[in-house]
Amino acid sequence: MRFWRLRRANGDSATAVPLTVTRTQPPKQVLRPVSPVFIWTTLAGSLALDLLPWGRTPLVPDFLALALVFWNIQQPRRVGMGAAFLFGLLIDVHDGALFGEHALAYTLLSYGAITLHRRILWFPVLGQSLYVLPLLLIAQLVSAAVRLWAGSASADWWIGLIQSGIGALLWPVVTWLLLAPQRRPMRDETRPL
Amino acid sequence: MEYGPPPLFNQGVSARARLAFFSFLAALLIMIDARVNALDTIRIGVGVMLYPLQRALLWPRDALIRASRYAATVASLSQENEQLRKDSAERTPLLLQDEQLRTENDRLRRLQNLRERTGVKTQLVQVLYEPRDRFSHKLVINRGSTDGVRAGNPVVDERGVVGQVTRVFPFVSEVTVLTERDQSIPTQIVRNGLRCVAFGGAEAGTLELRFLAANADVSSGDAVVTSGLDGLYPPGIPVGTVARVERDVKDQFARVIVTPAGGIGANGLLVVMQLTAPPLPPPPREDAASERPARRSTKR
Repeated sequence: MRFWRLRRANGDSATAVPLTVTRTQPPKQVLRPVSPVFIWTTLAGSLALDLLPWGRTPLVPDFLALALVFWNIQQPRRVGMGAAFLFGLLIDVHDGALFGEHALAYTLLSYGAITLHRRILWFPVLGQSLYVLPLLLIAQLVSAAVRLWAGSASADWWIGLIQSGIGALLWPVVTWLLLAPQRRPMRDETRPL
Repeated sequence: MEYGPPPLFNQGVSARARLAFFSFLAALLIMIDARVNALDTIRIGVGVMLYPLQRALLWPRDALIRASRYAATVASLSQENEQLRKDSAERTPLLLQDEQLRTENDRLRRLQNLRERTGVKTQLVQVLYEPRDRFSHKLVINRGSTDGVRAGNPVVDERGVVGQVTRVFPFVSEVTVLTERDQSIPTQIVRNGLRCVAFGGAEAGTLELRFLAANADVSSGDAVVTSGLDGLYPPGIPVGTVARVERDVKDQFARVIVTPAGGIGANGLLVVMQLTAPPLPPPPREDAASERPARRSTKR
């Protein structure tokens, strides 16, 4: 990208001198405004994905946690901890877990995402998934700690780590999918932003 | 009067305050649920709200299963049919004999002035899904309190006990499988009538007979059935077979590992059993009941 130095008032530099600026970030588009209907539809959709009868297959990530982290990072003023808490209660009832276990995990997840959202958005997508991984891990560890406190240990605790890893790997896909309606359909190079 | 910054960038309640509020609420809910069991009405309410969505989301899987069944070849179907017919032919004489033995038993009991065995009501149920919770192994079945299922009802399949109904919603119920760590069931060894309590084992998918003396007469291969002492399980239902017995001189108890008989994991159809009348008198008061359960069951 080139910036043109403004011609000085006294006119001693007759021609404008091109000044090259090294870019630290990939170019970013200004996104179109998000529709609240889309946010809540995707959250409900990810809840539905979690409610599918997956059984005890270990490789399925927690879609709802991913969607919550995504919207907490992109739209922290629209999707907050209250939504995370309520979705957590729904998952608790579906899984027959302790009432409030996932609610606590998602609340902490959501807090982490909201506090880090400005920093995370600065990174390219792959760097973002490195931030998302510990967030998902913390949520898993919280629910494991709650169950340990309640007295049920499990030999399958490592499944949570795998699920978080797969969730972080899916982050670029999630970003691509959920940001799709906000991107401009035509790439216009003449637009300044 | 308070002078704060002008509300130019007012974002409402701060994130930390929200975090404190919601995590406190969640911790409170967890504690109440784990210790007092007072939240069942809220849970049932949420469960009923969630039920249509859950059922709708089971549809794709069921459709897949139906499609694959439709594509099953005639050969495999006729083979299965043949097998089922053979099974039923083998069982019919046993069933007839069972009927006769039952009447005879009733008559003998009446002659001896013993109480009659309570009848058992059965209900065929279907497993809807297995919850993803990796800390406990449960099954969700398609009958609930509106169909008469009660918490505590035993659940069996064609081979033996699978588990026990632990939580009842109006339209579905949760069944905790037998091999869960905190699940226990009063049992009896068929060979010598030795009574014991089976708990979920430390190894996944096994049971353990606890509180059996180190010199107890148990050996691997013994069949273990329910003793019916708890008034919840009907007596004589297969629980499993003893896989191995470890006797250690240091311990006063033997370590008895039992492989469960019921298909725990992959089963579509189950039977919920319900004793038609409680065979036991109401439980004694707290101070009388403070003895260890294993000792109590051997005394009775």
